[in-house]
Amino acid sequence: MTLTGRFVLLVALGVVPIVLLGREPGVAALVLLGWLLFVIALGCLDLLLAASPRHLAVQRVLPRRVRLGESVTSELFLTNTGRRTLHGVVRDAWQPSAGAGTNRSPVAIPPRERRRVALTLTPFRRGERRVERVTVRSRGPLGLWCRQATLSAPGNIRVLPPFNSRKHLPSRITRLKELDGRTSVMVRGPGTEFDSLREYVRGDDVRSIDWRATARRNDVMVRTWRPERDRRVVILIDTGRTSAARIDDEPRLDTAFEASLLLAALAGPAGDRVDVLAFDRRVRGRVQGAQGAELLSRMVDTMALIEPELIEMDWAAVPAQVRAITSQRALVVLLTSIDAAGASTGLLSVLPQLTQRHTVVVASVTDPAFTRAARETGTLDEVYRAAAAERALLDVERVSAAIRQLGADVVTAPPADLPPALADRYIALKAAGRL
Amino acid sequence: MTVTRDPRDASRAAQTTDRPGTAVDEAPVNAPATTPTLRAAGRRSLFWILAIVGGLLVAVLATVLAAGAGEGGRPLAAESAAPAGGMALAEVLRQQGVTVTVTDTLRQTQAAASADPDATLFSTDPDGYLTAEQYQDLADIAPNTVVVDPDFLALQALAPGVGFGGESDRDELTAQCSLPAARAAETLAPGGRTLGTGGVESGDDAGDRPGATDVVGCFPSGDDRFSVVQLTSGSAEAPTALTLVADATLFSNEKIATYGNAALALNLLGATDGVIWYLPTLADVAVTGPPSLGELTPGWVTPVLVLFVIATIAAALWRGRRFGALVPENLPVTVKGSETMEGRARLYARSNARLRALDTLRVAAVGRLARQVGLPRSATLEDVLQSVAAATQRPADQVRSVLVGANPATDGELVALTDRLRELERATIRATTPGGAAGNAAGPTSIPPLPASTGRMEP
Repeated sequence: MTLTGRFVLLVALGVVPIVLLGREPGVAALVLLGWLLFVIALGCLDLLLAASPRHLAVQRVLPRRVRLGESVTSELFLTNTGRRTLHGVVRDAWQPSAGAGTNRSPVAIPPRERRRVALTLTPFRRGERRVERVTVRSRGPLGLWCRQATLSAPGNIRVLPPFNSRKHLPSRITRLKELDGRTSVMVRGPGTEFDSLREYVRGDDVRSIDWRATARRNDVMVRTWRPERDRRVVILIDTGRTSAARIDDEPRLDTAFEASLLLAALAGPAGDRVDVLAFDRRVRGRVQGAQGAELLSRMVDTMALIEPELIEMDWAAVPAQVRAITSQRALVVLLTSIDAAGASTGLLSVLPQLTQRHTVVVASVTDPAFTRAARETGTLDEVYRAAAAERALLDVERVSAAIRQLGADVVTAPPADLPPALADRYIALKAAGRL
Repeated sequence: MTVTRDPRDASRAAQTTDRPGTAVDEAPVNAPATTPTLRAAGRRSLFWILAIVGGLLVAVLATVLAAGAGEGGRPLAAESAAPAGGMALAEVLRQQGVTVTVTDTLRQTQAAASADPDATLFSTDPDGYLTAEQYQDLADIAPNTVVVDPDFLALQALAPGVGFGGESDRDELTAQCSLPAARAAETLAPGGRTLGTGGVESGDDAGDRPGATDVVGCFPSGDDRFSVVQLTSGSAEAPTALTLVADATLFSNEKIATYGNAALALNLLGATDGVIWYLPTLADVAVTGPPSLGELTPGWVTPVLVLFVIATIAAALWRGRRFGALVPENLPVTVKGSETMEGRARLYARSNARLRALDTLRVAAVGRLARQVGLPRSATLEDVLQSVAAATQRPADQVRSVLVGANPATDGELVALTDRLRELERATIRATTPGGAAGNAAGPTSIPPLPASTGRMEP
């Protein structure tokens, strides 16, 4: 049960009879009492005549997925099973980060009829956004008192990572295709695979002329190469405590997702098999054996529910996890954070095991705030800040150097640049035939 | 409650689309309600409802019982069952067929007397509300007036010759007078206050009261000291009698049944068909000066204020009623990535680690300078010094002092040395960049961007 503003106004209107009739204090008190009884009686009458909010059948129609930043329509079908027309307000109690905006909708449902309540959701957080209840407030014909009930009508929607870095995909795929059928003018390495023989055209590198084929045909033939295919790429995402840090208002983990999505989107057309593992002390998400369009959809689906865990990454278990995925030589991409030397000892200690068998790339986000702070040295405080920032950057550089020394590759970039930088490194490795 | 994240959301607020005539084919099932019905809520909280009602009942009963047995109530009040009250006397009078009219103010008393002119007026004023003038008026109201426990003012106004006689020291009080009521009573409870009539006997015609005044004293405790004094005056066809009873406890519930108290009281008051039982209250206190704010305000002001309080409570219920339960959500931790950097900077500042801070800046700068002049990573500091000095055409000592030597003793020196370090870097960039002359023309204030030093994407 609840009141309305109209009822409050009606109570306050009692001033008129009290002032007009009540010259004597006793009479005025009687008028007051009479007025209160009158309005309460009206309210009770209103309550009795209001439709029951419990006599409602609720049906939900929801899209299963939405990409972060996009809007979807959540539909709620309300059927009045009672005998009176329900006038009132419906609140669809979505979680705040589902971005439902104003979720109170006025409704009028005659008996045995159905109405649709549409709500535009613009979620602003990744993950599973839920709704459990619908609250209905049914107003009486006078609009003084209302009946209110909360009905159970569960629903959920999965908010996927936005994959904003897909804008880099066309240019990278173009570059990947350029590798195809290229002569060894630019690329020449032991790993690139022989593709075909074709006639020499002006501009081809004379070193790639296949003399034996030229002898067989009465024409100068050159060999062409194509990039390696059917290699394995293992992306390991660190979901430990350092992945929770917000850099440029984006958690490290989300940047890692962006980078891995771009890499997977690129590796699919390039003919490589991608496996993704999100890991801290146990496996938080795993995508294995998926290919083509299914790969990306399974990846975003898995990533939607992964949140940073406030525990330390267990690097010692990483080689075993990689071995469980593939025993072949693979490109292992570790999406983690490179910090001070002390914090990176775990990573450094297991890298030799990985680099022994695999090509390893360590990708990390750098904080543009550090670079900015290092440049500003106007006042004393700024000098100290710059010194601290330089210290941090030097630490990153030291750890990067140590990683390189252990035979792995390092990619560091600000959040916006990391996904294309990692993609470029992948293309460079592929072109060099190092996969 | 769902938070509106963005004010712009209001523009895409929920809309309701009506589909009139959408018939429902299969029988729809009501959604299960999580709000308990009134009946269920009542059943669940039945224990507490019963407990509260029971507690209230006990409290009310206890209050009623305590009021009956306690010391509360005004002395000789007709409704007070307390030991000092007068309920016993009033009730017995009522049983005898006497109409007892209880009044609170002199005005009411006068109204009651005009309705029943023969009624006996019974009055006592232990709190001293009445003034001398009001006592004068009181004396003129009824032919028979009984004043119990008169104070000094009452004696002055009603019986100027009668004074106080002190406490009675007799073991027993006997009537010893011609007053019929006193004779019927024979004895009174011993003790209590007395009245002295020493001043009356000297002059029969006392003070300003017209007509002859007879003073009869009963229950003497010594010379001119009586427990009951009756003054009779006026003409023979319209005599007025004023009976003064010195002690109020004589007529109280506690002592009325002892000795001849009851006989005295009933004979004094029961002689007529009506008794006006008048105990003065605060309302009798005469108000002097201009009328107070309370008298000037119209009668409806207080009820209107009460109404507004009730309306405010209703408004609070209206606005405060929640539209369904809150929706919980786990929020992510937000850790700013640069916290460690800020913390380290404050540690440097607090411990005045000037040299350490400057050395850090120098190490980073040397790395950048080495790259700028085209030296490999493995180059020694000495190589870098020489190359930079050569590139910028500065003395090697000066470059050395900026990059290694100088030790900042004060904060000002630290800032100055940092500035010189930056200046050296800029000079090196100008000297080694082919288009450096153009940058030079822009003036020394323009700061060329430093080369990125994060070691990213080195092809």
